[in-house]
Amino acid sequence: MTPLYTQINSVGSSILVAENIDGGYIVPDRRLFIHAVDNVSFTLEGNEVLGIAGESGCGKSTLAKIVYGVIEPPLIVRRGRVLIDVGNRNLIDILSSDRETIRREIMWKTLSYIPQNSMNVLNPMKRIRDHFIETLKFHGIEVSKKDVVNYTREVFNSVGLPIDATNAYPHQLSGGMRQRVVIALALMLKPRVVLADEPTTAVDVVTQLGILSFLKEWQKETKCSMIVISHDMGVHAYMDNRIAIMYAGNIVEYGDAEKVFTDPLHPYTKLLIESLIKKGEKSIKKGILGSPPNLANPPPGCRFHPRCPYAMDICRKEEPLETRIGNNYRVKCWLYSNSRR
Amino acid sequence: MSEPPKIFVIVGETGSGKSTLLKLILRMLIPDGGTILYKGRDIFKLNREGVRWYRREVQAVFQDPYESFNPIRRVDTYLYDTAKFLLNIGKSIEAIPIIDEVLRFVGLDLERIKGKSIKEFSGGELQRVSIARAILSRPRLLVADEPVSMLDASLRVSVLNTFKEIRDKLGSSIIYVTHDLSTAYYIGDEIAVLYRGVLVEKGPMDVVYSEPLHPYTKMLLDSILEPDIRIKERIKPVKLSSIEISEFLAPGCKFANRCPYVKPICSSKEPPSIDIDRRTVSCWLYIK
Repeated sequence: MTPLYTQINSVGSSILVAENIDGGYIVPDRRLFIHAVDNVSFTLEGNEVLGIAGESGCGKSTLAKIVYGVIEPPLIVRRGRVLIDVGNRNLIDILSSDRETIRREIMWKTLSYIPQNSMNVLNPMKRIRDHFIETLKFHGIEVSKKDVVNYTREVFNSVGLPIDATNAYPHQLSGGMRQRVVIALALMLKPRVVLADEPTTAVDVVTQLGILSFLKEWQKETKCSMIVISHDMGVHAYMDNRIAIMYAGNIVEYGDAEKVFTDPLHPYTKLLIESLIKKGEKSIKKGILGSPPNLANPPPGCRFHPRCPYAMDICRKEEPLETRIGNNYRVKCWLYSNSRR
Repeated sequence: MSEPPKIFVIVGETGSGKSTLLKLILRMLIPDGGTILYKGRDIFKLNREGVRWYRREVQAVFQDPYESFNPIRRVDTYLYDTAKFLLNIGKSIEAIPIIDEVLRFVGLDLERIKGKSIKEFSGGELQRVSIARAILSRPRLLVADEPVSMLDASLRVSVLNTFKEIRDKLGSSIIYVTHDLSTAYYIGDEIAVLYRGVLVEKGPMDVVYSEPLHPYTKMLLDSILEPDIRIKERIKPVKLSSIEISEFLAPGCKFANRCPYVKPICSSKEPPSIDIDRRTVSCWLYIK
């Protein structure tokens, strides 16, 4: 492995900075290391939506877990920092702080996480309203029952949940409704950063659009920042200001969403965008040949080279450098590297 | 479907009854009422020989290829078994050329899958094997239940193209079930839209897509999130409503609660289906 990424010099106005994150899963009895996140860096500015896109198994959910600080075996982090601004330019490194501080000070208050399959995270023994009350209590916020009811009424109304749902147990609600309850919970303490991992999997198109437009509306209103992780490029097109495209544990392209969608540079992004089927299109499309690599034993050099139509000799041997193009745009490909031979 | 082969797409959200409909077509469920005719024969009144004939004629590809195959069995044995039971080719030597041919049709070959179990395949390859198995008996009708929804975007298109080739080169018709309207348009010749177990609109793909008649079809088409950066400006945000469960039991039109054009009659009486301009729609709006 080659440490190639140039250090981020200034944190600037960023609210969250992930630096050189390197992590993966250990399979002890088979002596395997599944290198799911390889030297990934990104920054999140205030009042923006950053999308992380990629196919299944590219490491995007692992990255989300690391950023949120939920590092439990077999997941390990070998390198990197995740700095978050907890107010007044006071930066805390999530990866090196102790769990209790993170739980009390960061989770939910500064950084909220809407997990994948969020319909299955509620406690089945507790009524929905108790989930809200306990979250508030845990963070030491004294509120009257009336305020909780008012909050839930307001937010349930905007996500399309009946107000009676507060008195229900989780199993009495449908999967889509539970998902919306979790979203309401995650936004309750008005966090500065919301991390949404596939917020709309397993819902139909109408509900998907409803949830996403609610999140977008909320983001604009509170001026918080949001990280949206999804494999669905339609979700990214709708939500993102900036986007990071992941392939096999690397961010291969990163920058302004409009540029990535209209004029992508990396061959993987190009092929991916070309293979997407848009509404009202019938012309024959081509997929990308081959399939994503096994992360326990990734190909040498650029991880995309076995599928890349532009693969050169160097791609098979050396990992490409990240090339900066203008301000805040990066692509990890030998085609754009100045030092290419 | 006796005309030229077609791809008939059934679209509906989760819980709209599309998978139940497929199970009925595949004789996996017995209907409470009504009949399904295949080439003029009632498929629930077939004798033993008739069932074998029906299995040869109608084959299926399912959603998750990792669940369609037994994980501890070699994948190629499925192809030999299909050859044995449906084509009466008991000797594997005789089956090899036919199996190799269908595998080549889907972009694989026998060498590559020989002796392997499902763990050694990617999702896209495995789905190709299950398509190869389904077309081994040269079915006239192929039934596909969300066959690409488990696959990654980069692999999806090539599997969809395989279905188009099956229609064009093998001349089989396909019933393709999906909730994804963009792929539906890409692949389909005709479309049927289900809502809460009721067929609300049916017709040629182009007509339904460009001028949907039923309010539900309109809403579906307006909610598609396309992978196109310009949708940010184009799409109108929707408000979510909380009526879900009561809709199945509702008298009258099941969509009445959410419909922007609702009239008093909608919630009391079920709309009849009427034919307008090459398609069928069930909605009170069009009944004069």
